[in-house]
Amino acid sequence: MPRPTEKTITFTIDGREVEAIEGAMLVDAARGGDIEIPVFCYEPKLGAPVGACRMCLVEIEGIPKLQTACSTPVRDGMVVNTGTERVKGAQQSVVEFLLVNHPLDCPVCDKGGECPLQDISFGWGRGNSRFIEPKRHFVKPLALSPLIAIDRERCILCYRGVRFSQEIAEDHQLVLLERGASTFVATFDGHPYVAPFSGNIVELCPVGALTSRAYRFRARPWDIEGSGSICSLCPAQCNVTFTVRDERVLRVLSRDHDGVDDGWLCDKGRFAYQATHSDERLTTPLVRDGEQLRPATWERALAVAAGISRHAGSAAALIGGETSNEEALLLSRLMRDGLDSYDIDSRSGGVLPLELLRSLANPALQATVPDLEFANTVLLLDADPVDDAPILDLRIRKGARRREMQVLVASGRPTALDARAAEAVRHAPGSGANIACALDAALSGDTQRSATLARDGGADPEAVVRLANLLREAGEDIVIVWGERLTDGPSGAAAAQALLRIADQLGLASRDGAGLLELSRGTNGRGLREVGALPNSAPGFGEPQREGRGWNEIATAAAAGQVTALWLLGSDPARDASNGEPWAKALASAGLVIAHASTLSPELGAHANVVFPAEAGAEREGTVTSPDGRIQRLRPAIGHGGQVMPTAAVIAAIADAVGFEPGFSTGSKATEAVAEAVGFYAGLTSDEIGGRGIRWQERDAASALPAGTAGETAAPPAAAASPNGSLRLGTYRSIWASPEVEISPALKFLSRSATVEISPEDAERIGIGNGQRVELGSNGSQLEAVAQLRSDVPEGSIFIESGLTSVGLSATEGELVEVTAK
Amino acid sequence: MSAILFDRIDEPGLATIDVYTRRGGYSALKKALAMPREAIIEELKVSGLRGRGGAGFSMGTKASFIPGAEIDKYLVCNADESEPGTFKDRELMQKKPHQLIEGMIISAYAVGANRSFIYIRGEYVLQAEMLERAIAEAKQAGHLGENIHGSGFSLDLVLQRGAGAYICGEETGLLDSLEGKRGNPRLKPPFPANEGLYKGPTLINNVETLATVPPIIEMGGAEYAKLGVENSAGTKLVSVSGNVQRPGNYEIELGISSREIIFGLAGGPEAGRSVKLWFPGGSSSPVLTADDLDLPYDFDSLAKAGSMLGSGAIIVVDDSVRVVDVALKLASFYRHESCGKCTPCREGTNWTVNMLERVQSGEATPMDLDIIASVQEQIIGNCLCVLGDAMAMPVGSLVAKFRPEFEAHIEAARERNGLGASQPAVEQPVLTI
Amino acid sequence: MSEVTRFTHGSRIPGWDQSTDPSKPAAAIPDPATTTVPEELRAAIEAEIAKYPERRSALIPALHHAQEHHGWCSPEAIEQVACVMRLTPGEVAAVVTFYDMFESKPVGKNTIYVCTNISCSLNGGDRILAAMRDAAGDDPDFNIRGFECLGACDMAPMASINGEYVGPLTDEDCNQVIAQLTAGETPLPAKQLSLRPCADAAGRTGGDGQ
Ligand SMILES: Cc1cc2nc3c(=O)[nH]c(=O)nc-3n(C[C@H](O)[C@H](O)[C@H](O)COP(=O)(O)O)c2cc1C
Ligand code: SF4
Ligand code: FES
Repeated sequence: MPRPTEKTITFTIDGREVEAIEGAMLVDAARGGDIEIPVFCYEPKLGAPVGACRMCLVEIEGIPKLQTACSTPVRDGMVVNTGTERVKGAQQSVVEFLLVNHPLDCPVCDKGGECPLQDISFGWGRGNSRFIEPKRHFVKPLALSPLIAIDRERCILCYRGVRFSQEIAEDHQLVLLERGASTFVATFDGHPYVAPFSGNIVELCPVGALTSRAYRFRARPWDIEGSGSICSLCPAQCNVTFTVRDERVLRVLSRDHDGVDDGWLCDKGRFAYQATHSDERLTTPLVRDGEQLRPATWERALAVAAGISRHAGSAAALIGGETSNEEALLLSRLMRDGLDSYDIDSRSGGVLPLELLRSLANPALQATVPDLEFANTVLLLDADPVDDAPILDLRIRKGARRREMQVLVASGRPTALDARAAEAVRHAPGSGANIACALDAALSGDTQRSATLARDGGADPEAVVRLANLLREAGEDIVIVWGERLTDGPSGAAAAQALLRIADQLGLASRDGAGLLELSRGTNGRGLREVGALPNSAPGFGEPQREGRGWNEIATAAAAGQVTALWLLGSDPARDASNGEPWAKALASAGLVIAHASTLSPELGAHANVVFPAEAGAEREGTVTSPDGRIQRLRPAIGHGGQVMPTAAVIAAIADAVGFEPGFSTGSKATEAVAEAVGFYAGLTSDEIGGRGIRWQERDAASALPAGTAGETAAPPAAAASPNGSLRLGTYRSIWASPEVEISPALKFLSRSATVEISPEDAERIGIGNGQRVELGSNGSQLEAVAQLRSDVPEGSIFIESGLTSVGLSATEGELVEVTAK
Repeated sequence: MSAILFDRIDEPGLATIDVYTRRGGYSALKKALAMPREAIIEELKVSGLRGRGGAGFSMGTKASFIPGAEIDKYLVCNADESEPGTFKDRELMQKKPHQLIEGMIISAYAVGANRSFIYIRGEYVLQAEMLERAIAEAKQAGHLGENIHGSGFSLDLVLQRGAGAYICGEETGLLDSLEGKRGNPRLKPPFPANEGLYKGPTLINNVETLATVPPIIEMGGAEYAKLGVENSAGTKLVSVSGNVQRPGNYEIELGISSREIIFGLAGGPEAGRSVKLWFPGGSSSPVLTADDLDLPYDFDSLAKAGSMLGSGAIIVVDDSVRVVDVALKLASFYRHESCGKCTPCREGTNWTVNMLERVQSGEATPMDLDIIASVQEQIIGNCLCVLGDAMAMPVGSLVAKFRPEFEAHIEAARERNGLGASQPAVEQPVLTI
Repeated sequence: MSEVTRFTHGSRIPGWDQSTDPSKPAAAIPDPATTTVPEELRAAIEAEIAKYPERRSALIPALHHAQEHHGWCSPEAIEQVACVMRLTPGEVAAVVTFYDMFESKPVGKNTIYVCTNISCSLNGGDRILAAMRDAAGDDPDFNIRGFECLGACDMAPMASINGEYVGPLTDEDCNQVIAQLTAGETPLPAKQLSLRPCADAAGRTGGDGQ
């Protein structure tokens, strides 16, 4: 959909002629004339203005009544007055009315000093008070949720928080009850407001009514400093400001970036900073001492790690998703050039041919994050943004709500966007490749092949045809958001080829607002591939010196003694993989296991020889690359806690100990090294990246990306297992499945126990009820879980959450599992 | 007196389609369906019919604002009738439901709306039942549904009961309520004629307005315009209540003297009592006094006297009643009914009630009367909808017109409470820097 | 200034003065797999939904049905409506508490709204409310509320008794209303708008007697 065009007009405000964009609201246009019109309820991020608070009344010549500047679009020649007696009178009245029921507890209010109500009362109020009646009193503060406190006395009913819940997050949990002067903000029947994005209401509240329980009474505005960086907890890479006091992060706020987060944060990004200062975080190196890992000096830990030189030729490295471009490049250099080891991987799903990686990275095929809002249609292919990259869920909702963008879904597990979807196709868990191939066939008119593929994938063939038709008629700008899991396993190449053909058939490469957007598993999944943290690619998708083993082969090789040392850079495979069992074996067999971690899983505890304490988000430095290719800077907001050292410095120290000179370690030098290694990042510097990041596709160097081909046609994906009484296992990694959530005091309540989502039909057949304990069994392994009946789960499939330390079922996506009542 | 709306109003069985049709009902519909749409709107404009719900906007002009495009358009009948003192729509719906339905079909046809709704206040249980029955009869007779009488025009009519909220009489609050939400008024513009129900163009009219449409089509707009006076054409239902001997609905020709209505028709206050004040157009209208009884009852004359015709509900208050009690009653009503969306109304009605309570109990001084008056001024014109004004105008007028009585009341109450005489009102000290 | 009482504001919504309960789950749209809705209530709501171009429009009619079924808009009733309407219970509760006719606490089965607005109170409406309350005493079967103008000032002072408009009322009538309702009889048939000539001195009839 074409972005709206902007026309400049001239209007007069307080006697001055000012230029503005036609249709801009007067409050915004007035700023062009350096005039501030006070507002409370107006917040353009929340959608259409509601005109509720009446703070922004102004006089417009030719209109008898005062008008709300927040909702009046400027027109050419308009004459506006904001300083007349009448306007001043109205402003003073509104301030006076707002203070009628607002307690004067500013001295003990968290908002004090950064409070719009204080500022506006000071700037536009009457300066005296005529109100002598008792104010309305509420018991306060009350917990709105474990994260948010509500002080109803302070609420000025500006509607912002409630509008956020209704119109942005669309969780519809925060509402207004009662009416008139009795109105108050609440949830249903004492249920807490718990939702992926609830914390945004704290930042939206213009008074101290909604406050963060984690931040309450921790600081006054003059004690703190803000420090801009990037949230490194998921691929969305939202821009944040860390609020810092005495080298501690006390709060995380959004640093509004239209190209990334649109000004919102998820609750993980907002509250997981607490993991930084949690007692449960590792802050000293650990070295194995018999059965036990014990705290050790850096010398000792580095010496143990330097023992990797004895494993030259048979070491392997798994690079975790949060790793920065610089760290990944450094470690892969050391592995390849210093240790003659080529088994390096950052993708847990299997190896994709280099040709396909290059083709998928084609700049013409890349959709941007804002495209999710302006497209005619967004198709989710085996992806659920709310778990994979939460903030993008809001972006898609925005497009759907404000521009009637069409949403289409094809996934194994029901997604959060299903309710918005014109068509939601369900397939068997792990069979996304079949659906991509079926869709490709349907688009090319081969309905028969499409039907076979769809059926093999456990999907309704007609639904796939409908999906294809909707796509064909979708208008020109189509964005396909696909989850990394789509290209997992043996059918990964077939899925990638299908994606490329679908893109070709829909002409996505020829449209600016159309394209593909991959949601990778890790924060920096895209950057890690681009810097060559892959077994079959050099940095910049160049030909590798030598191909190494991929993720799954490394496990097998380690169990077989062919790989003797494992370097786990921010990766905990036994925990992260949907099937952790082979990894438990691999870890047990390896002679040396080096890990970087902030918490210890049981497997690491049992098998690591040395553990380096990982850096927390606010301590990190380096660059990461977002799903749409935006290279962004992580900038340290605080010094390192405990004895933590920069990860890059640790790798460099080990390199030094084994006698390898990588040529760089940390700082802007490291970023330059990345730019030098990756052809299409050429010339990039920290300065150019700056505070807003830059998409590499938009720079001249982008042409250095080696052209890809579709490669040899891969074999079609295999058919999904037929349930036959058992059920197909699906897994998903929820937004809350992360070590940071588990150790942040505020977020702990969200860390989950094992549940299994099951359709009511299957539950009835097996004879289990909602909330009942069940046992899942596969290949002799067992898992106990609580059944959760969901009517939108397709019959024949069940879903469990991966990434939980407690999950240890030995079965992969799509395999059959026996479910029995306990 | 010409009876147009109340013609044969008490004839038994008039609420049924048989009797209504026998008395000439639905013939206007047949006539209208044979007319071009623009011609109907033209007749309505010529008739001079002004909205009977409160604002008094020309019905024909409003209908002409509905865009001609072939999109989903809606007609909504406002049967919320919650303005204190108003009960005319109730009697119309109860006794002549078919006249309303016929008026709705003609109006919907005129603006090209294919879906129509009656939003009736939830308390009107009987009237809702009678309307449901009438709608079913009209469907049965082919006046509603697909391809009405072969005209190619189709119309669906749904009755929705509200659930007790005055603000749902405000047209945009009504629309939100009809969409299943809290009845908060919407920001205007956009006006409902452009963006109303389900964001489609929507014509909203009061029951009485719509029920007047069939007679206008029947007699012709020009003929109707001959009734009444300039700028106030036609007849009007007036609900008279309060301290009068014959409360009830009366159909009058606009422009007759108010005294004729209050005394001639409604019998005036009981013997020995006199009119102290009266609301000419529902409780939202600024009050008038005995001096104003000879005003002609029409839109312009009442406006010129500083009040308004509003919904046509005359509430008479006699000299036995304390004006403080009237003011507090009013303010309490509007506080209860404020939707709470905008600041001046939500806080202003609440503050006014608090102050009037102190005035009533004697814990006030004349300075409070100044603050009350100033708060009313701060409300008027600054709210999102006019509910705030609907309290501020009458309360402001009471304080302005009966200030001595308020003051005397305060002094007497202070005395009773042993608080002593009040301090004289003092100017706020002003600090000059 | 007399004594200032704290928390007099209160609310008719239970729980307004308590923190949320962290052991409860977030109140999302109830899943039909885990929410049981009485069959006749579901059918009634679905019939309402079918009347409108957008399903949400059926919410207020749906709540009337639910209130009739459950006696009040209990959390359970709200969840059931939310389940059929595909809304969150929060959205439904927001609507319930906006409207005067929806009860957010359990109430007696006989609902009497006594008009205490201006025209009725000029004719003794406030006194009638007190008399009605006196007559009912603490009988839990009665839900007696002072109400805003009911649109029947021609029969002032009046009340709506289980939906029937009755008036003009005297103090003595109040005792009779309570007695008749307790005995399961029709209250004051002679004064019902739908059954008899109303207060109009001109002697016009109210309903048409059908
Ligand atoms: C607070 C408020 C309450 C209103 N209540 C009613 C009402 O109960 N019935 C009604 O017909 N109009 C009511 N109105 C007027 C409507 O907003 C609208 O002007 C009217 O329905 C238009 O119909 P008409 O042009 O036929 O009068 C009210 C307006 C306000 C501001
Ligand atoms: S004036 Fe009152 S009723 Fe109207 S929008 Fe404002 S608060 Fe609501
Ligand atoms: S900012 Fe304009 S009304 Fe609130």
